[in-house]
Amino acid sequence: MIGQLEYLWIGLVNTFDPLNFVMILLGLVIGVLAGALPGITMLNAIVLVLPFTYLMDIVPSLLLMIGIYCGGIFGGSITGILFNIPGDPMNVPTTWEGYKLNKKGFVSKALGMAIMCSAIGGFLSALIMTVASPPFAKVALSFSSCEYFAVVFLGLASVVVIGTRSIGSALISLFIGIFMGTVGMDDIYGVPRFTFGSRIMETGINFVTVLIGLFAIGEVLDQLSLKSKGPGEVLRARPKTQLPNLKELWALRFTILRGLGIGTVIGAIPGAGATVASFVSYGVEKQVSKHPEKFGTGVWEGLAASETAINGSTGGAMIPLLTLGIPGSGATAVMMGAFLLHGVQPGPLLFTKSPESVYTIFVGMLICNLIMILTGLLTARFFSELMRVPENILGAFIITFCLIGAFALRNDLADVWFMALFGILGYFMRRYALPIPPLILGVILGPLAESYFLTTMIGEANNISVFFLRPVSGCLIISSIGLLFMPIIRNLWKKK
Amino acid sequence: MDRVTTVGKKPRAVSHLSHLKGPLLIFFVALYFFFLAGRIEEFPMPGQLGPAFWPKTILILLMISCGIKAVELLFARSKESETGEGESLPAVHYPKLLAMIALVIAVVAAMEAIGFLLANLLFLILFLRVAGVRKKPLLFLTSGLGTILLLYLFVKVVYLPLPKGYWFFDDVTIFLYRILHLI
Repeated sequence: MIGQLEYLWIGLVNTFDPLNFVMILLGLVIGVLAGALPGITMLNAIVLVLPFTYLMDIVPSLLLMIGIYCGGIFGGSITGILFNIPGDPMNVPTTWEGYKLNKKGFVSKALGMAIMCSAIGGFLSALIMTVASPPFAKVALSFSSCEYFAVVFLGLASVVVIGTRSIGSALISLFIGIFMGTVGMDDIYGVPRFTFGSRIMETGINFVTVLIGLFAIGEVLDQLSLKSKGPGEVLRARPKTQLPNLKELWALRFTILRGLGIGTVIGAIPGAGATVASFVSYGVEKQVSKHPEKFGTGVWEGLAASETAINGSTGGAMIPLLTLGIPGSGATAVMMGAFLLHGVQPGPLLFTKSPESVYTIFVGMLICNLIMILTGLLTARFFSELMRVPENILGAFIITFCLIGAFALRNDLADVWFMALFGILGYFMRRYALPIPPLILGVILGPLAESYFLTTMIGEANNISVFFLRPVSGCLIISSIGLLFMPIIRNLWKKK
Repeated sequence: MDRVTTVGKKPRAVSHLSHLKGPLLIFFVALYFFFLAGRIEEFPMPGQLGPAFWPKTILILLMISCGIKAVELLFARSKESETGEGESLPAVHYPKLLAMIALVIAVVAAMEAIGFLLANLLFLILFLRVAGVRKKPLLFLTSGLGTILLLYLFVKVVYLPLPKGYWFFDDVTIFLYRILHLI
């Protein structure tokens, strides 16, 4: 324990080394901007800085990447709240509540709440990472595809709580999304599916194009085609970010704790990541809420649950990377690349060979989440200025940004075509009250679910009972089934 | 899928069957893809589920969901007729909507043929006009400066190889890139 405290002190001193500190700041700014711009993801930004880290020592390199990671994971929420355009799939649940709060006139507070919950989630999960790294990673290491499927299934089951008004519509939307995820080359058998002989279709439908199209283009078309809108109307005044006070945060303490727990645990499971954490946390919060019917209309608990879980997953995802050398997400995989680029193998030996570096990373991540409040405030202010632009001009430029964002994914116009078509689909889904979020959830989690399910079946000779017989997956599957039947039970209870 | 009406108009009286056209349409599309899934090229592997298993399962679940939705709609319809309530959405300016959809499709097609620079410039001018920008200086300045700014950000800073177009347009784009000091 004394040794650990000593290393923490060394880590703290190292973090405030000018170069290390500047790297954290720079990383946060790059991350928040990359996360906020649709089509440019936090992962893109981490990959882009990777070659530059070769010129630096391992610690500032990793602090730069951690800054981008923490900032980027939060950044997507800013545009989600302001313009209904989530920067990344993980920011989708934040957008459901945040944008509605914006429409209700609480934009300043919604931005402030998102910043605070992200910072709290990130800080506390980094603290958990520091204290509980080794035992935590051992549990995650014992997971097989069976448990991974159970985690993803839990994420998919949350659709019943997402489809607030109609379970039928939510299920239709979800299964359309999962089906879209099957288009292209099958990962396990290497067979093309529903490609109609087209080369473009073989690469599959990139979920980012679906995301950008359905949310951004659909929203612009929906807003600008209304008869009630005057030409060049400036709909909203300049919003200022308003941080929540202690009383408001205290009222959400259980929501934040639940989001933190879900985020850290799911973040530590390799392959699950912030997106699953965000959806599961939102779903759980809705289930435990006293007013679940209000979710989706602008509810603080929904926003706080999702934001805390997203940043809560960052500390969790670092645990298997640092203690076992297993990257838990795309971002941590690139960070592992940075380790290897410097000739350092992450894993248990890192704690004995270079404890100063490990603890500098721990403290750096803690500090990073605190500074994120300031960076978030400044960046949110910059993006808020855009809200003063007349809606028709803003709409036109949002479409242009989306075109570029979709093209930037693979430098392929096929993605731009998909994005435009999904944009038009998004408009009609809005008009015909077919919920969009379950479709997004299906496209993102569907391929993961298929892959884990089939891998388990191949390994277990098609014995489906294995999902119930293994303790962790059994608990998760039963919880998911409970989640699926919860609305029916609740309705019956209400009728009584 | 759900019945949405337009503000200012009375909800139309629709038969139960026409009310179900949404789920029915999705059901038949799912059925079509289910048959297509049966044609997925498979190399039989004993004891394995194969590449068609997952999509077929999902399509069956989709068809069942359509059934659930149909039941929901029938219940909602009978409730509505009891209470006389219907949901409403703001009225839509259809010519404007169609023009905007056409422009979105056109700009994607034009990006490949005439390049991003020209396609985006034309798109912004036309889209802003359709969206209600009447002042010509604002229209042209916003479109022109906006396109240049985007080009600086994505071509010069991010090194994104945005489409330059074919034939004559490729030369025009490169010429304009040179004038703008982008290359």
